[in-house]
Amino acid sequence: MQRPGRWLAAACGLAFYVVCWRVAQVDPGKLAEGLPRLWHWIASAWPPALDELPLFGQRILETVAMAAIGTTAAMLLALPMAVLASRNLTPLPRLYLPARWLLNALRGIDSFVFALLFVAAVGLGPFAGVIGIALHTWGSAAKLLADHVENMSTGPLDAVLSTGAGRATAILYAVLPEVLPVLLSSALYWWEFNVRASTVLGVVGAGGIGLELKNSMDLLDFPRLFTIIALILVVVMVLDQASGWLRKRLV
Amino acid sequence: MSVLFSVQGVVRRYGARTVLDGVGFVLARGEMLALLGPSGAGKTTLFRCLAGLERPDAGRIAHAGVDVATLRGRERRRIALVFQQFNLVGRLSALDNVLAGRLGHVPAWRGWLRRFDAADLALARRCLARVGLAGHEGQRADTLSGGQQQRVAIARALAQEPDLIIADEPVASLDPGIGAGILELLKTICHADGVAVVCSLHQPEFARRYADRVLGLRAGRVVIDAPAADLGPAALRILYDGAIEPLDTTP
Repeated sequence: MQRPGRWLAAACGLAFYVVCWRVAQVDPGKLAEGLPRLWHWIASAWPPALDELPLFGQRILETVAMAAIGTTAAMLLALPMAVLASRNLTPLPRLYLPARWLLNALRGIDSFVFALLFVAAVGLGPFAGVIGIALHTWGSAAKLLADHVENMSTGPLDAVLSTGAGRATAILYAVLPEVLPVLLSSALYWWEFNVRASTVLGVVGAGGIGLELKNSMDLLDFPRLFTIIALILVVVMVLDQASGWLRKRLV
Repeated sequence: MSVLFSVQGVVRRYGARTVLDGVGFVLARGEMLALLGPSGAGKTTLFRCLAGLERPDAGRIAHAGVDVATLRGRERRRIALVFQQFNLVGRLSALDNVLAGRLGHVPAWRGWLRRFDAADLALARRCLARVGLAGHEGQRADTLSGGQQQRVAIARALAQEPDLIIADEPVASLDPGIGAGILELLKTICHADGVAVVCSLHQPEFARRYADRVLGLRAGRVVIDAPAADLGPAALRILYDGAIEPLDTTP
């Protein structure tokens, strides 16, 4: 009984990968053909295009700022939403499931897709990116916090409530101190993640360095393209170090 | 002695199961009542009803003439609770935990910002000193030992300036020696401040040594209501069927 089952599972697994391989149109031959071309581009990318550095600097600043504002807004919105989406804390149990659904929807739609929508609504520029980042991060962060809160003991909250404190006061007094470190360290993580994610938001017109990235690609301007990629790498690495250092001090 | 707390004919059912079946007793200021009974006798349910956390299906629990089931918000501050698991906010300091006891007295914004005036701070320090923890004000609650945490919880109860303290198995999570210290403290507070204390206990010898009166609960009914000094082997047989709980007869 066990052996055929195992073979069947192996066959199903194999079939799954065969189908995926076909659907994804994996073609190593094309890669072999394309690699020399890519190599040629890389070779032609030297020397880097440094004359536009001030513009790149401004665009990267835009990217970092979009991520910072979007992440911060998301974190501020995540706190009340996490209360609403925690079975043990919510003041409105009827809204528990709708709140969870909303968070799952926000989390399921990437900031890139939100940015695409909001470019249409608020126009080209980084603001659309900020909204995209804020919405997606809101869903992800609030769900993380709510899961954390649901796993917490409600003993301290019960105790503080029993002193005669109001519900809001008791939550701020008994729950917030316990989730604040989680909130801050995940905020740093999300900021870092959003800087990386928002490098591509410019591709849909939502501001930041992605805009220049796309322009360079469209013009096949490889020195410019690779300069931008190098800059992004440097910024991401610096932020990574900085947020790692900050997180260590916070927690 | 004037009656502070009166319990009459309290019935509590969960589905078809009757957990409390007509429990009644009265309590005066400055009296310490120990609640004894085998596991499943209904001690925890009675605690939850006395504390106003659950509403009895029948009967009345009155504190200074007011039904506890109707107490809301700030009205609850005169009844302080002490829990088996201490229920401190782990990441807050000992002093901040004691100050939680003031939340039923101060304006809500003070609780939100955790900013208390000099009088409340002084009171909280006195409460900590009273439980023998002067010098531990700034220590994080989750770094204190179990016995110290229960002392902080008692200081929090004192900061409420209650006239009744209800303690649910306050020493069940502690070593016997540490537990004895906690009960000694409750007894002192009870007799010196005229605060009434209801305290459920596992160990009959603790009840005899520290309580003024003993209430024995069995299968949801009061089977003993007697001065603690009268708690002899015969009474314990009624309570535990002479089965498991041994009586420590050493003085």
